[in-house]
Amino acid sequence: MAPQMKGLTQFIADLRNAKDTEEEQRRINLEINNIHSKFSGKVNSYDRKKYLCKLMYIYLLGYTDQVDVGVRESFQLLSSSNYSEKQLGYLAVQVLQPYRQGRVKDFLVTQMEQMHSILLRDLKSDSEPINCLAINHIASHYRVNDGTTIGQNDDTAPLWQELVDIIYSYCTSPISTPIIKSKAALALNSLLKVFPGLQNNWIPRLLTLLDNPDINVMTSSIPLVEMLITQEPRYIRSILPSISRRLYAIIVEQKCPEDFFYYNTPAPWLVIKLLQLLERLFVSQKPDGTPMLSIVDFDHTVLGELRAIVAQSIQNAGQPARGLPNRNSQSAILFQSVSLAVFLDASPDAIDGAVAALLGLIDSQDTNTKYLAIDALIKLTRRSTGLESRFDSRMPQIFQLLYDKDVSVRRKALDLICTVCHAETAPNIVGKLLDYFPYGDFSIKQELALKIAVVAETFATDTTWYVSTMLRLLSIGGGYNANGNSFISHEVWERIVQIVVNNEELQPKTTKLVVSLLKNPITRTNTDPKKAPPPPTGTPESLVKVAAVVLGEFCNTVDPEQSFRVLYDHYFKVSLVTRAMLLTTFLKYLVKFPDADFIADIVDLFEVETMSLDLEIQTRAHEYLMLATQPSQEFKRHVVRPLPVFVQEESPLYKRLGLDARRPGARANAVAAAAARGAVEAPNNVVNSGLTPGWQAGYSRMLHYDAGIFFENQLVKILYRIVKDHHQITYKFSVINNAGKSANTVINGFTLLSIDPQCDNINPSYVITTTESPDATISTKTSMEHVVKIRHIVENNQSPRMTITFTCGGSFNQLNLKIPVTLLRSLSSGGMQISLDEFNIRWSQIGSQLGPDAGERVTEATIPHRCNSSNIVRLLTRLGFAVVQGSPDDAMPIEVYGAGILNTSSSNYGLLCKLTSIGVDGKTFRIAVRCTGGGVAEIIADSLREVLMAQ
Amino acid sequence: MSINFILVLNRQGKTRLVKWFNNNYTAGEKSRMISEIHRLVGSRDSKPQSNFVEYQQNKLVYRRYAGLYFISAIGPYDNELSYLESLHFFVEILDTYFDNVCELDLVLNFYKLYVVLDEIYLGGEIHQISKSRVLDRLTELEALA
Repeated sequence: MAPQMKGLTQFIADLRNAKDTEEEQRRINLEINNIHSKFSGKVNSYDRKKYLCKLMYIYLLGYTDQVDVGVRESFQLLSSSNYSEKQLGYLAVQVLQPYRQGRVKDFLVTQMEQMHSILLRDLKSDSEPINCLAINHIASHYRVNDGTTIGQNDDTAPLWQELVDIIYSYCTSPISTPIIKSKAALALNSLLKVFPGLQNNWIPRLLTLLDNPDINVMTSSIPLVEMLITQEPRYIRSILPSISRRLYAIIVEQKCPEDFFYYNTPAPWLVIKLLQLLERLFVSQKPDGTPMLSIVDFDHTVLGELRAIVAQSIQNAGQPARGLPNRNSQSAILFQSVSLAVFLDASPDAIDGAVAALLGLIDSQDTNTKYLAIDALIKLTRRSTGLESRFDSRMPQIFQLLYDKDVSVRRKALDLICTVCHAETAPNIVGKLLDYFPYGDFSIKQELALKIAVVAETFATDTTWYVSTMLRLLSIGGGYNANGNSFISHEVWERIVQIVVNNEELQPKTTKLVVSLLKNPITRTNTDPKKAPPPPTGTPESLVKVAAVVLGEFCNTVDPEQSFRVLYDHYFKVSLVTRAMLLTTFLKYLVKFPDADFIADIVDLFEVETMSLDLEIQTRAHEYLMLATQPSQEFKRHVVRPLPVFVQEESPLYKRLGLDARRPGARANAVAAAAARGAVEAPNNVVNSGLTPGWQAGYSRMLHYDAGIFFENQLVKILYRIVKDHHQITYKFSVINNAGKSANTVINGFTLLSIDPQCDNINPSYVITTTESPDATISTKTSMEHVVKIRHIVENNQSPRMTITFTCGGSFNQLNLKIPVTLLRSLSSGGMQISLDEFNIRWSQIGSQLGPDAGERVTEATIPHRCNSSNIVRLLTRLGFAVVQGSPDDAMPIEVYGAGILNTSSSNYGLLCKLTSIGVDGKTFRIAVRCTGGGVAEIIADSLREVLMAQ
Repeated sequence: MSINFILVLNRQGKTRLVKWFNNNYTAGEKSRMISEIHRLVGSRDSKPQSNFVEYQQNKLVYRRYAGLYFISAIGPYDNELSYLESLHFFVEILDTYFDNVCELDLVLNFYKLYVVLDEIYLGGEIHQISKSRVLDRLTELEALA
């Protein structure tokens, strides 16, 4: 290490020895004067560096406004050709001229204008260390994360572009050294965030950085690669082999250069970054909402390698570790692998195993492990479906974690509890969380309140339960903390108001409950002897707010005198905002009960508050007082109108938590329905999350026929044709401009907005790809085509929804239509001829192999009109069965048998069905289905039933 | 996946090194964050605590070495243990570079710390991950100075 600068050391020592800030300040002033005089004369290189270091030190101590003299001098250093001067010059620019205030963009622009020529010269220098100084500067100094960007039309755009060009060439040039390449990859990543818009044809060359044999280069290029793939998802498949090959070499084959081992672990940071990159790609979505990466993007080799990598990492974590760094590296890789495993192998056994292993770790003595195990469980549950109930028996243990010594663990535990909550456990969990609330520490309470509100809303099956739960939360949620912040964020109480206002039958219950809670606050009975008693809470502000709105609106449902007294008693205990709300409430009381005894109190209060120091309160008091003394009741009633219903689709709580409202398990949602109930009746409400009216006819037709009309209205007519080829089904649509015929109007902006498979996207039962997109402008007609590949058993409720938008004659239109993708659609007879005897033999074979429970399903269906035997034969033939007519055309009962093969890409199933009429009218049929695949008969029977009923 | 800032504080809360990888915090925000982080991390200084704590939109990953807290603020999806070990990697490099490092070394050589840091973390990302190569590189650069 080079010797230190003596003067600098002395200066720092002086400052450290200063007895107080006054002395420090004196010493600094002295030095600044000294530096000023030195810099006005001639200074040599050593002194210039020394003084700049002193100035930086002063700056770093917090005296940020006394060092302007250093700025000019840093540019002096930068223009030197000496390495050490340049190095210090760059540092001085970063230390003395960081962003401090104002627009971030202005900072970036100013910096670029000042630095551009220097950077350019240094990037073009023959000296590699000098190149690196400039690259380092670009990587660090222009990186922002607030979304500020420089556009192509900005004045400085050419300057940025020039840098992008040079850095790009460093990344891709075969003669760049590894150190330059790895720095350049990081610099380009920073640069493109501020100055986006790299040419697409440059991307493939940059992606080859992942193939670089140097481990540092590969590590440093991962962030850049992630950004580029997000920009151009179509290149995703090209990088998968490089990633898996490298991981396989390091983890499974243990091939890694000696100097990249870290305590016996080969290149842990590279491994983790690569695993994380894959995980991020699985989790991220393309602009159209589909996942960036899914299991079908992998070929067999790559998938096999990745599974081996995950298995090996999990196994490695079980090996004895050499010291803490080794153990931490192993665990880091373990947790990263577990997060990835869900995406690679959705087999329930594997996931069960992972859950069990992680549950074993949540009692670990090591807090880090405990924390990370909870975190991994949360991820696992969110990414799989139906895991929630696995945790039921472990809830007491998980709840215990809410009392852990570490707040980080407590917070994660809370997150886990809410993640594993499902419809059956929700009431219990909400109750327990409410019990816990008083014991939760300050930093966690706000989140806790929000989570309780969300869980209650998500799983409520009964609105009365919901309202009483929420009011209980508000009642114990208390008032404001020392900083003036409530634990209850305003979204919570506003949501309750919304729901109550929109639901008439809730109103009397709520008003009664509010009054009683305000009169008799909940006293806690569940004092756990182990825990300290909870701190007392103040006046429950949020409850008063709900009361202010709800009682003001619906005070006619309770005793007005009593309810008024309760509110009045709280008036001076609450914050100014709430008081202002209460004034309005009192005005409503005054209008509604002009003859009540309490009117005098209200008028007195208005009078008193006209003297209020708070402007809002004074204004309201003054206006309300004027109004109160108005003789005309009619006029007053016009001022105080009932609240209109709230029109809002999505709960604001979800937004607040950053949650997706369409969480699985949230379907039986009484609250959402309750919130929407009023909204549907509201005028101008055109929001309808469901399907476009008229969808059903086309959907049913598609279940039966391979061609026909899918949808028609005044503007468009959509025809379809279905072509089957084993497990691949092609849906061809032609869209005809109906408006064109009558009004000669062109359809514009015709867009296939989305086509959402409703199946699980980790291991989807089918994959749908759009092979032909429609034209945006339709004067007469256009066509589109989707190909569905059935991968395994498709459930009956998984049919995709297609959303189309277009404008026609100035109106914007959206169609939400459902396309039937059912397992039955994959049926083929393959030209099979079958006799009655053969049918019966196979029928009993399936019966004996699988047993009636797994292989057979019997159901009934009533057809709207009378059928004879040949109708049924035609129907089954149309669906793809090879048919055996069991009874002659005019005999009763009708008996028709069908045989066929269901084709999926993973396997094929033999399918047999018997349709037998019940009774004599030829309308009701017994459907018996047997199938070689377990559980399939049920799906097919239901499908057949749907088809028959839609006849 | 990235680091928002790296911070080295002593137990009294004095900053010994800070590197902001996001250049959009105002001066006021920076000093407020540092003092909040000091309070947060300092209050967790007993045994059964994890080395991770959430702070605003970041996860703080930290470890105390003698009287100094080494803190790295990472994104919500980042791997905590990996960044924790990366801090250890950084400390080991400092230890070799300054030959048994102590707080005073960091104070007196504050301007050299950034040179070391730039070889290990760059643009908010982990840059070099081989100890011997980083040390070789630092020796090379030292010779130029």
